[in-house]
Amino acid sequence: MKDTGITWKNLLTLTVAVGVTAVAIGQAPADDDAIFPMPAGKAYVNECGSCHTAFAPGLLPARSWRKMMSELANHFGEDASLEEPHRLAILKDLETLAADFPHANMRMRRISAAIPGNAAPQRIIETGYFKYMHDEVPKHIWQRKKIGTPGNCIACHPRANEGRYGEREVRIPQ
Amino acid sequence: MKRVVPLLVLLALPAYAETPQQILDSLVAQAGPASASRGEQFFRAKSSAGKTADSCAACHTDNPKAPGQHVKTHKAIDPIAPVAQKDRFTDPAKVEKWFKRNCNEVLARACTPQEKADFTAYMISVK
Repeated sequence: MKDTGITWKNLLTLTVAVGVTAVAIGQAPADDDAIFPMPAGKAYVNECGSCHTAFAPGLLPARSWRKMMSELANHFGEDASLEEPHRLAILKDLETLAADFPHANMRMRRISAAIPGNAAPQRIIETGYFKYMHDEVPKHIWQRKKIGTPGNCIACHPRANEGRYGEREVRIPQ
Repeated sequence: MKRVVPLLVLLALPAYAETPQQILDSLVAQAGPASASRGEQFFRAKSSAGKTADSCAACHTDNPKAPGQHVKTHKAIDPIAPVAQKDRFTDPAKVEKWFKRNCNEVLARACTPQEKADFTAYMISVK
C-alpha cells in the first residue's frame, strides 16, 4: 500500500502519461484532414488541371486511370490527346498514387473498397465514396454559377489541386 | 558599368521566355500583317462546329480582361488578355498548345497562321 494515493511518484507518472497522450493526439492527422498524395512536378497540374481540377490520383483505382489515359482523344467528348512521352509520364503518376496502390491511406482504401473489382469508373462523382461524402449537399448548391457541376472540386475545396479536401477548408461560393 | 546595368535589368525581369509582341511577331512572320479588329471578330464569332463551346468567348467571356469559366467543367479560367494576366502570350509552346486544343474544339479544325496572328494582335490591343 506504500505507493498508492497521491504521491510525487504517481503524480509524475500521471503527468508524463497525460503529456505523452496530448502530444500524440496533437501530432496525429485529424480525421478532417482529407489529404491525398499528388504527383511530384507540375506536369499533371499543368496538363490535366488546366481544364478541370487536378483530381487526386487516389480518388480512382489504377484501372480507371489506365482506361482514361488510353481514351484521351475522346475525353468526355473532348480531344485531350497528349504527346506520347507526356501521356506515359502522367499515366505513371496516376498509377503510382491511385486509390489501390500499396501505400494508399485509409480514405483511398475506402474509395477503392467501394468499387467493384471488375469496374473501372471514369467519373469520380459516380463513386460510392464521393456520393457518401457529399450526400448532404443539396442540388441547388451544385447549380450555383461558380460550381456548376459536382466535378468542379476546386470551386469549394480551394486546395484540391494540392490533394487537400479537408472539410474545414471547404468554402462554398455564393 | 554602362553595359552591366541593362544586363541587371534583364535579370530582374520575370523569367518569361518571350513577350506577347515577340510571339505576335513570329506569327506575323508566317501569316503577314495582323489585324486586331479581325481578331476581335474571330474571338466573338459563333461556330456551328463547336462540340462543347461554340466560340472563344463561350469560355473566355466577351471581355478578354475578365476571368472566364470552362463551359463544361466550370473551372475558373484566368483572363486571356496580357493586360489582365501577365503570363499570357509569354510561352510560345503554351500558346501553340491552346490554339491546337481550342481551335479543334470550337472550329473542328486547326487555325490558320493568319487567324492566330489576328487573335494575338487583338489580345495585345486590349488595354
